[in-house]
Amino acid sequence: MESIQHFFMTSPFDADSVRHALWLIIALPALGALINGVFGRWLGRANSNLIATAAVGGSFVLALLTFWHINDWNQVFTTPFDTRPIRYAVGMDHGTWFSAGDFIVHFGLRVDHLSGTLLLVITGVGTLIHLYSTEYMSHDAGYWRYFAYLNLFVAMMLTLVMADNLLLLFVGWEGVGLCSYLLIGFWYSDPAKAWAGRKAFITNRVGDFAFLIATFLTCLVMWSFVKQANVDNFGNVTAQQAFATGLREKGPVDFSGLEALARALPVDPGHAPTGTPAVTLQTEIAQGPLSGITYGTVLTAILLLFLLGAAGKSAQLPLYVWLPDAMAGPTPVSALIHAATMVTAGVYLFCRMSFLLVLSPTAMAFVAVVGALTALFAAVIAFAQDDIKKVLAYSTVSQLGFMFMAVGVGAFWAAILHLVTHAFFKACLFLGAGSVMHGNADETDIKKLGGVKRKMKVTYVTFTIATAAITGAIPLSGFFSKDAILHAVHGTTLAGHEAITHLVWILGLLAAAGTAFYMTRVWFLTFQGDRAADARIPEEKVHESGWAMTVPLVLLAALSVLAIGYGIPLMSAGEHGREPVMENFLRPIFATAESITSAQATVAVSHEGSLAFSWILAFVIAWVATGAAIFAYTRFFPSRAGQPAPAFAKRFQTWTRDKFYVDELYDLVIIKPIRGLASLLFRVVDAVVIDTLAVRGTAWVTARVGSVLRYFQTGDTQSYAAVMALALLGGVAWALVQVLK
Amino acid sequence: MVPITHYLVLAAVLFMIGMFGVMVRRNALVVFMCVELMLNAANLTFLAFARQRGDDLGHVNAFFVIAVAAAEAAIGLAVVIAIFRSRGSVQIQDIRTMKH
Repeated sequence: MESIQHFFMTSPFDADSVRHALWLIIALPALGALINGVFGRWLGRANSNLIATAAVGGSFVLALLTFWHINDWNQVFTTPFDTRPIRYAVGMDHGTWFSAGDFIVHFGLRVDHLSGTLLLVITGVGTLIHLYSTEYMSHDAGYWRYFAYLNLFVAMMLTLVMADNLLLLFVGWEGVGLCSYLLIGFWYSDPAKAWAGRKAFITNRVGDFAFLIATFLTCLVMWSFVKQANVDNFGNVTAQQAFATGLREKGPVDFSGLEALARALPVDPGHAPTGTPAVTLQTEIAQGPLSGITYGTVLTAILLLFLLGAAGKSAQLPLYVWLPDAMAGPTPVSALIHAATMVTAGVYLFCRMSFLLVLSPTAMAFVAVVGALTALFAAVIAFAQDDIKKVLAYSTVSQLGFMFMAVGVGAFWAAILHLVTHAFFKACLFLGAGSVMHGNADETDIKKLGGVKRKMKVTYVTFTIATAAITGAIPLSGFFSKDAILHAVHGTTLAGHEAITHLVWILGLLAAAGTAFYMTRVWFLTFQGDRAADARIPEEKVHESGWAMTVPLVLLAALSVLAIGYGIPLMSAGEHGREPVMENFLRPIFATAESITSAQATVAVSHEGSLAFSWILAFVIAWVATGAAIFAYTRFFPSRAGQPAPAFAKRFQTWTRDKFYVDELYDLVIIKPIRGLASLLFRVVDAVVIDTLAVRGTAWVTARVGSVLRYFQTGDTQSYAAVMALALLGGVAWALVQVLK
Repeated sequence: MVPITHYLVLAAVLFMIGMFGVMVRRNALVVFMCVELMLNAANLTFLAFARQRGDDLGHVNAFFVIAVAAAEAAIGLAVVIAIFRSRGSVQIQDIRTMKH
């Protein structure tokens, strides 16, 4: 045991070579995207597949080595903001990206336990999905375009995760949004699919706008704070100078700077021993555009704006509407972008800035409530969707809601654990769905499938494992990650929002039951029972997919099982007994957030609640809902069983199938008025003011003036000379008058 | 010594004659000669002032004007000859292509 630990915690590389190689992790997929995008047309299918898969695979190998390196006992990372070095992290600053006055942004990369975990998920799952895509896209003419986009996506996602400041993160944030748009609308000749791409892009734009505003507000807070804060904020003069130096060198959006800010902003007023009182959350900002508003208020506003940004990217209420439509893209894209990686960017953002979030219990309560409501709402909609990919899409929205719940109560490690396990089993589910479609002539309606298990053995087994994992069956990874979240929600109270945490817990339990129900429904209708009468192809023609598709399925299913290793309480945690591996592993990242919560008592974590109770509760909920689904769908619902569904179920089904008319509501409230306004602007401003008055008016006036002036253009040189002479005479006369005066 | 006013009055008279010629004469060659006359009236003014000031600035300018006038005469005559070849006339009222 000792020797294994020693092996994994001793890096075989020297720190400098790792630092200087970090950019390669991003550059490899970016290069793959460039080659495929520019020369893909002439490369041929096999070369294109090889380049794309190898680029991401190479990135995965590099990520593994980096990960090994940051686990080293002695690996430390220094930042100008902090006098103490940070353990278990490696960073590389490639210099100033741009600077405008005080606003400095560096091109800096950083890998620590949090971004390292995500690096492995992105490149690992990414490699498997690239491999899967080589077969899935084997009949598509646009394969090189597809692989260029997919590689670009991986590069952008890696930028997002490795960025050491908010603005570089935003580059990745926008980049993945672009790739998502390109891949959703990949089959752009179909207007519905092109529309889905635009919908995703525009919905995300709303969130991105909030993200930008929040970033600007953060800069203002940093600049005000460095002017207003005194030594008591920092503890000693050296730390204060370090903060000012860091701000001058690295700019206001660096994550280390934000962490230093969070550490220096004490929540309790009045513990200043000398001189002017230290700046607290209740202190008003002295100057600048925010003067007169307290730091706490601005911080809450910033976090709520970030929540809106994260809601756009991670498909939370009220901006979740784009994700179900994003299923218009190829299925591997849904697996990689819209389940495993991109949509978790919002969760990552909050985990990266955990130290800021815990300063504002109000913002935390908002995050938790948004997460809980989304989890339940999406689960209910998933009940009645007949498209296998739509069910999985709503399931993703719902599971992301769970992650937001965890973030909202400060259980950041549980959110990341669920992020990782969800990446495994949801990618497996999506790829399984793609495999089912591939073998059933692209049929996506689960009512027209049925009995698929007899012909597609590998898909059936892997899909079953992944379904069990997401349902929360022991002993699969989903059980431990989802239970970690529910346990954390149960044991946590946010200061001033006690009732809300209880509500969130109940909503979470209901959503967990919903998850079990709709996943069992999909699994049951697709794989079990008889072949549907109106199936697109008869059962004999159904065929299992080839090795490039089944190998990723098997590996992901295996990972969904093996990932339990992260969730089992193995590591010693002092007086609290034992803690899960993931919590222990991510402790360096969330240490600041933890010390803030324990010092300021904004979040009360109770360790009294028994883990066994939570486990039994989750277990019972999962099996009751699964049993209910199996009972309902064998007894009542499939119309092919000849039993009409009960009336209340029918009404409920209509509502949920039509997604509670949220799309129609948005259409009525937002899209229609904007379209009306746009057509008004087009008719009045564009057609009348600009086209008629400004453009044609200018031409008309010029032509009229010209036709008058042309009579003076006689062509007679001497009359021109006479005009010149008269002008000269006038000039002379004027000069004379001036002189004589 | 002749006072400067005399030179200036002479220059003004020469200039007016030149200008008048430019405006009323029909033959392009004569118009040209009148332009030369105007230029030389200007030269005379320069030299008169140079003499009054007692420095070389006016002479420098006069030499410039002479150089420019030589170039202008060369090009102008070439233009006139070209027009004569194409139209068979140097009467200025026959050359009215500069209108709309």
